[in-house]
Amino acid sequence: MLRRTTAALAGSVTALALLATACGGTDQGASATAEKTGKVTFWSFVKGSDQVAAAFNRSHPGIEVTFETVPSGQEYYSKLTNAVKAGTAPDVAVVEYPQLPEFAAQGKIEDLSGSLGPLVKDRFPEAARQLVDLGGKTWAVPRDAAPLTLMYRKDFFTQHKIDVPTTWDAYRNMTERVKKADPAARGGVLYTDNPGLLSALAWQAGGQWFSTEKDAWKVTVDDGPSKKVAEFWGELARKDLVRSLGSLDPFWTSVQKGQTVAYVCASWCAGAQQATVPDQKGKWAVAPVPTWDGKPASAMYGGSSFVIPKGADNSGAAAEFIKWITTDPEGMKAWVSSGTSSLFPADPQLVPVTKAAFPTDYFGGQDVYAVGAASYDAIRQGWQWGPVMGTTNTAIVDQLPKVADGSVTLSGVLSTAQQATVAQMKQRGLQISAP
Amino acid sequence: MTTFSTLSPAASAPEATPVTSPAPRPRQQRRVAKPPSVLLSKAGVTALLALATLYTLLPLTWLLLSSTKSREDLFGTNGFALGEEIHLVDNLGHLFTADGGVYLRWVMNTVLYAGVGALLAAVFSVAAGYAFDKLAFPGKERLFSLVLLGVMVPGTAMAIPLYLLAAKAGLVNTFWGVFVPGLVFPFGVYLARVFSASYVPDEVLEAARMDGAGEFRAFCRVAFPMLAPGFVTIFLFQFTQIWNSFFLPLVMLSDQDLYPVNLGLYVWYSSALSQGHPEDYLLAVVGSLVAVAPLIAVFLMLQRFWKSGMTAGAVK
Repeated sequence: MLRRTTAALAGSVTALALLATACGGTDQGASATAEKTGKVTFWSFVKGSDQVAAAFNRSHPGIEVTFETVPSGQEYYSKLTNAVKAGTAPDVAVVEYPQLPEFAAQGKIEDLSGSLGPLVKDRFPEAARQLVDLGGKTWAVPRDAAPLTLMYRKDFFTQHKIDVPTTWDAYRNMTERVKKADPAARGGVLYTDNPGLLSALAWQAGGQWFSTEKDAWKVTVDDGPSKKVAEFWGELARKDLVRSLGSLDPFWTSVQKGQTVAYVCASWCAGAQQATVPDQKGKWAVAPVPTWDGKPASAMYGGSSFVIPKGADNSGAAAEFIKWITTDPEGMKAWVSSGTSSLFPADPQLVPVTKAAFPTDYFGGQDVYAVGAASYDAIRQGWQWGPVMGTTNTAIVDQLPKVADGSVTLSGVLSTAQQATVAQMKQRGLQISAP
Repeated sequence: MTTFSTLSPAASAPEATPVTSPAPRPRQQRRVAKPPSVLLSKAGVTALLALATLYTLLPLTWLLLSSTKSREDLFGTNGFALGEEIHLVDNLGHLFTADGGVYLRWVMNTVLYAGVGALLAAVFSVAAGYAFDKLAFPGKERLFSLVLLGVMVPGTAMAIPLYLLAAKAGLVNTFWGVFVPGLVFPFGVYLARVFSASYVPDEVLEAARMDGAGEFRAFCRVAFPMLAPGFVTIFLFQFTQIWNSFFLPLVMLSDQDLYPVNLGLYVWYSSALSQGHPEDYLLAVVGSLVAVAPLIAVFLMLQRFWKSGMTAGAVK
């Protein structure tokens, strides 16, 4: 395991270094000596960003952070890309982990190795570091990890004497028993508009969609473990044992109506669940995510990091701001000051801060952070996101709604995504080694 | 004008289609039982129109009903039924106070971008179209083909180039970055030329000039009033275009206080459920209802101009 990781890392060093230099070079260490005062503009769609900016301004008189709300989703990333192109980029911006390699490889963000690299090395475990350290350089600082968990209706499970599954085999049985107990209820969801959970489950099963070898990318979206996951979930959806739904309003409607009584999600879902369906208070609980062999294994579904876009006016102060909002207890406190966020800090030392801010009466006093912490420790190492995730994700999402009615298989969807990804990477001139 | 007179009898004559169909022809002379094919086609057209009506009205119904619901009812009850309690007033109050009343600000911005922008764009378009039609100046047709070229390029495709230009001019993230592009409306110039040719007879202008009116006065006092229906049509076209324009404000603006209402609603909607603050989702729903209301009002008020303007160029 260890050898594999080091080899992969060493490989990614050269590959990304090559890419980065090809796209305009890097100015390493330039930001380390920059001034740490002045104005900083900050783009984010993450909840609590306004409070964080305000709290930072109160405690740092020399720096003035202006927070600007941006929409989330693919629109945001095209906005950020164009802003860098036009030279009007903000000083600090949020980027989710899957999108990070694309921004790094295209030279759209600053290399933070010199300024924040040591901090990342010092404070974050490998599970988070592997997502922001690409090609031996640090490109972003993680804010939250989003380790997988299982959310379930405790009252429903107790009433119908259903056990909380710890393996995926048991999970399948659970979905059958849920449907038998209440024909309108289901024990899971296959999202039709969001590939994030599917890729997290592939990651958890030991799949590895992307890796870098020497100076080439290896793309294996349809590798063995991923196919196993796809066949499992595709079958559940086809047999109508899990719902096939959009992840926004349709999903929450089904939860509100008691039609979804269990679903795989991540640490942040506890807060979302509590805020979106407040009247089901006391009925829900959080459990570790089931695994294939019963041994703890996990992955990340969501999570965000902060970058300094290329062309930022004030990288020195920006770095100071990023450091504070990701690793300072006061900064973390500001993120969760509304008391409705169950974000799991990527820096394990800050878990007590967020834990203290999240009221657990919705979950009957359960220590949801303990479940999150165990899941965080179990995240599989060696996962890497690809350089054209927009294409990969679109290829998956286009086909997902057709899985439930059997017109495509979920593993077929992964093969389609594999081909689309490779085609797009070739078009961009990225080196690909045969899988 | 000759084409007009030869065309019109053909257009008003009974439909030519029954001739080719095997159905008996004398359908207008005697009110005997209509042939089944006519009935069928009528039923078909009515069904299609009914479908189109449903397609238009169902989302609006959903929006109207959902806006009256509490957050629990929004997810817990049928989308086309009323919730358990009517929360419309609460929701509206919440909408106008959320984030320090930013919603009202967005509406004002949209009124400025779309309302003032389209008004000016319509003035410029009518003036330019009139000039292209009535005045003689060197390079006229060549300039006009440039305008036509502008008609061909879709607005969305211009967003990124406009953004890069605005970045050079320092207009990014300012009011002007969105307002100024809205003033340019090549299709309006094209329409105005057609309108001017059919509404403003050269004789009238000649008479005005004879009476001593200068070119500018002739346009303002004589031609412009005659072009009023065309003006309203162009205004409405551009108004909806700016109102609906999304990508340009998206890339151009990042200061929330400058957002038009559609972008603001999108910000609320896009992160509401994925980021776990569902109260924004309800805000986006209620905000959408409030945002379509003025558009419906404008259309109802200006409908008669719009109707007369729509067909004005048709028989030229």
